[in-house]
Amino acid sequence: MSLLEVKNLSIMFGGLCAVDDFNLNVEKGELIAVIGPNGAGKTTVFNMLTGIYRPTTGSIKMEGKDMIGLKPYEFAQNGITRTFQNIRLFSGASVADNVKMAATMHNKQNLMNCILRTKGMVQSERELDEKVMSLLERLGLADKADFLAKNLPYGDQRRLEIARALMTDPKVLLLDEPVAGMITTELEEMAQLVAQIRKDFDLSIIMIEHHMNFVMPIADRIKVLDFGKTIAEGTPAEVQANPRVIEAYLGGGYKNVDA
Amino acid sequence: MKKVKSLYPALMVVIMYVAIMVLKEVRILNGYYIQVLMFAGINVMMTASLNLVNGFTGQYCIGHAGFMSLGAYGAAVVTTLIFGGKSGVPLLLQTPVFLLGLFVGGCCAALVGALIGIPSLKLKGDYLAIVTLAFGEIVRALLRLIQPIGGARGMIGIPNYANIGWILFFVALTLYLLRNLIYSPFGRAFVAIRDNEIAADAMGINTTKYKIMSFCIAAFIAGVAGGLYAHVLSFIQPDSFSIAKSNDFLVYLYAGGAGSLTGSIVGAVLLTVIPEVLRFLADWRLAVYAVVLVIVMLYRSEGLCGGYELPFLKITRGSLYGIEEPKKKLSFKKKKDA
Repeated sequence: MSLLEVKNLSIMFGGLCAVDDFNLNVEKGELIAVIGPNGAGKTTVFNMLTGIYRPTTGSIKMEGKDMIGLKPYEFAQNGITRTFQNIRLFSGASVADNVKMAATMHNKQNLMNCILRTKGMVQSERELDEKVMSLLERLGLADKADFLAKNLPYGDQRRLEIARALMTDPKVLLLDEPVAGMITTELEEMAQLVAQIRKDFDLSIIMIEHHMNFVMPIADRIKVLDFGKTIAEGTPAEVQANPRVIEAYLGGGYKNVDA
Repeated sequence: MKKVKSLYPALMVVIMYVAIMVLKEVRILNGYYIQVLMFAGINVMMTASLNLVNGFTGQYCIGHAGFMSLGAYGAAVVTTLIFGGKSGVPLLLQTPVFLLGLFVGGCCAALVGALIGIPSLKLKGDYLAIVTLAFGEIVRALLRLIQPIGGARGMIGIPNYANIGWILFFVALTLYLLRNLIYSPFGRAFVAIRDNEIAADAMGINTTKYKIMSFCIAAFIAGVAGGLYAHVLSFIQPDSFSIAKSNDFLVYLYAGGAGSLTGSIVGAVLLTVIPEVLRFLADWRLAVYAVVLVIVMLYRSEGLCGGYELPFLKITRGSLYGIEEPKKKLSFKKKKDA
């Protein structure tokens, strides 16, 4: 049994079939990239995998548990967490608080302990803070822990989104365009970071990305979508050689890029 | 030293109480001034509780006076109708009866808060505003119809248990508990919902649950404040809790600064006291009041204290490690060792 099993996933918006018959099995520790031209339905797939959209047909099973009909927060509580293409941080809160907010579901202190601020509650706050700080340190954000999230530079905001997602203790992490709008040097840093967290946290990662130079070296498998349909699937090398992919997405000039 | 410091706020409240008592003895403060101060205190409680919903959770409640009226009537029914006012209970039992009344008033408000919060907070968006607007008016209309509690004439003969000491105590308690709540996992969940509901949901926060929780807690505090109001004035009528009253609290909140407890204090106290100070202007009073508001909104659109919090009304990350100002994590440990 795979960690995450997605079968025959389809969604209709009125008469438009945005995603048609999407299948995906994610094994533990795997890194899968989903690519495709704009409007291919990649983010729609993510929205279905995190419970924001309810698919018209198909099934999503996380560790054998049927996830259809659950709310987004229940997806997160079952170990599927995402980052957003258009950054959605808790902008008015500090960096540390942003990460702590994602630990809400692990909170064991009840309301009474919290409003009376008991010793046990303060102790658990301190433990949480230490955990958050060590996570921020790994992502290179520790020295900005007390900054407001909205005041961070763009690249740091992207990293904070990943830190926040990691705090929920995910088993499957969905990254929606983690390097959108970044420059080449940042691209490399992010590739290292993704590889590093995948190893450190024993994560399966599903990633939407347009930068082929970013995707090809780190992905185990690639799925290519076009107009909601899966047109190719396989290792990076296989996908790059697939004539349908070249036609729909990569374009003739792509051959030169080393993978 | 640390222990002593954490007692400063409590000490301040005691000093304020003593100061008011002394000023009262030397006849600088008469009964009227004291009553204005008591209403200011009640308004601080109302504004701070409204702040929890509007300022910290990012929902929009515009019928907060409705909860106040439920609390006022709930408490008054207990102390006046059930226990028969001051003559009905021995002196020793008056305080417990008063506190019981306040508790019942708070619970009435919280219960009704849950009742209207559960359906309307399941939805994303401004539905709560519409529902609470209607709720405030419905409560007022219903209270006018119930004859045993006086109907439209109102309820008289409520024992005046609440004095400035009680008000100070409850204001301080409210602010202390609200501060603890806001700087706890629960408060962080509220702020997460305010800042980005979709992201909060995606990070495993049950947004409906936390929104209802915040709303009910706010309703409870409003209910207690209403109970105090009834026992200050000795007389309540449904029309004292109209939409105009709800609007007052919204004005206090946004003039003071939403999302800041300090702002709730400053807004409520200033805007309760200013109209009283301006009484010599007679009819021009309301015009001046309005101009003050316009100036505040022009020059500080985030409210007088928007984004600012007094040190004892917030809990910094550093305080977890026993120091005042947040510094880098490493410096915490060094200071701790030294």
